[in-house]
Amino acid sequence: MFDTRSLLSRIGIQLLATLIAVPYLLPLLAMVHGSFAGAGIGNYAKVFATGVVPTYFANSLLISASSIALVYVSAMLGAFGFAKLRIRGKEVWFWVLLVALTMPEAVLLTPLFVTASTFDLYNELIAVILPLAALQVPFAILLARSFFEGVPSELIEAGRIDGANVVQIFWFLMLPLTRPIAGAIVVLTLINSWNAYLLPMLMLNDPSKQVVTLLPSFFTSQYTNDQTGVLAAAVITAVPVIAAYLLLQRTFERGLAAGALK
Amino acid sequence: MSTDATASTAGRRQRPRSTQNQGTRHRRVAFGAGLPWIIPAVVLVVGMIYFSIADTIHVSTLDWNGFILSPSRFVGWDNYSRMFQDPVFWLAIWHTGVFFVTTFVVQTLIGFTFAALMHSKVVLAPLYKVIIFIPTVLAPATMAPVFRHIFDAKGDFNAILSAVGLDWLAQPWLAGDVTAMLVVMVATVWQWTGLTFILYYAAMSQIETEILEAARIDGSSNFRTLLAIVWPLCRPTTVALATLGIIGALKTFDVPYLVTKAGPNHATEFLGTYIYQTMVQQKHFGYAAAISIALLILAIVGGVVMRRPRREKEGS
Repeated sequence: MFDTRSLLSRIGIQLLATLIAVPYLLPLLAMVHGSFAGAGIGNYAKVFATGVVPTYFANSLLISASSIALVYVSAMLGAFGFAKLRIRGKEVWFWVLLVALTMPEAVLLTPLFVTASTFDLYNELIAVILPLAALQVPFAILLARSFFEGVPSELIEAGRIDGANVVQIFWFLMLPLTRPIAGAIVVLTLINSWNAYLLPMLMLNDPSKQVVTLLPSFFTSQYTNDQTGVLAAAVITAVPVIAAYLLLQRTFERGLAAGALK
Repeated sequence: MSTDATASTAGRRQRPRSTQNQGTRHRRVAFGAGLPWIIPAVVLVVGMIYFSIADTIHVSTLDWNGFILSPSRFVGWDNYSRMFQDPVFWLAIWHTGVFFVTTFVVQTLIGFTFAALMHSKVVLAPLYKVIIFIPTVLAPATMAPVFRHIFDAKGDFNAILSAVGLDWLAQPWLAGDVTAMLVVMVATVWQWTGLTFILYYAAMSQIETEILEAARIDGSSNFRTLLAIVWPLCRPTTVALATLGIIGALKTFDVPYLVTKAGPNHATEFLGTYIYQTMVQQKHFGYAAAISIALLILAIVGGVVMRRPRREKEGS
């Protein structure tokens, strides 16, 4: 983009890039630095000593995995139906799903809370999994539908001529092609469910049912604003996410970019 | 079955404008009944989201404290008229607007510039990209205590200010009305610039280098090339990001709730935090539901704006 022929301009560009990037690094450094303040590594020992860390992680994993499974299955089936099959009033159904695309979580609070209490689902992980998945499905279908529409229908024709039925065509011809879009859907759902805060906070009160995003607040209440404990807890919840991103950099970047554009 | 009939006529009416079957319009190869395939998605969305909307509309006409066993009283439009006269409600909408405009402008400025820089020959570019993108994968709830820590009266930010001789600027950031909002904005910009960057970066990869070379030969400066050629070519990205930003601003909850507790004195109140506070702390479920409906309508309007650029693009 920028002209980089003269040495001066190269230095200028490098400086500007550094000037922009460093402030983005500072909060992470402040987090790590603050988490070692006072007792040093002891702050981490304190967080693990509560014994809740494995539980919180397990619950977050369970919620994310279930949401991903629900979103993946219903989005793939639905998108195939919308893109390649005959449905009466297809666009009306599609529109029904799209209206839910921009739904703010806050709108769901009152009814979900009341319903969960009525059916005794309060404090059950399913009370978080179902709404999280439902919020993600419209978008996943929108993404996957346009992907399926890009698959040439000749492929389906060929499959039919060879005597395959719809299910076989979906399973053997279509699904193997969807890997790029499936990656985007999985990453988006993972980030949204792993990072979810409002719904778990509202629905999961029992300490044995809580999730990683609630770990820092655990220290705010438990030790009346123990800053070092809070920051150590923040580091503990951030590290696995950063590690996952670094390992799957491409998938994450593509997934989030796809999530923003469609 | 009458609903089915109306559904299919409505579908037919929409079809010429619709986006489907672009490549296959002439050869309709659709076969088999598709309805069973979309049922899981429809059941999930209708069961959770449409049910919730219907229930919220119902609750919004009640005076109710949310306990199943306590009596509720039908009050009709009362919650809505109360909402229109509630200064905090309007304050929350005002904050949403200011928040959106500010964060969008700053993020675009930084994200766009950074994307252009990363397309130039910068040493260690992959590392720079990772640094700016990491925040987007972290939970706002994880980072909120960090920002509280940084902008505390005795926090790192004030320490940095006094270290560089700007003591007079140091202040309890979370305690002032304007500064608390600034902290919420800083936390948000920090979190989402990576996404802005990655989208502009992708958009700029599509620009042919010949165009830029030609401009350069004509004596156009870096700054002019960027402003007169690259920026207009990235317009679809900017539009997408703007609409994403509107919806994001309406959804804002985690950061103001956790960093500033929506305060001081409602200074960082957003619709989400106000709904939560009205419902969970004040137990005014009916009033919270009415605000939720207002939020829903605003979000749908924002969503319509988001869909528009797609239509325009496909129409041309």
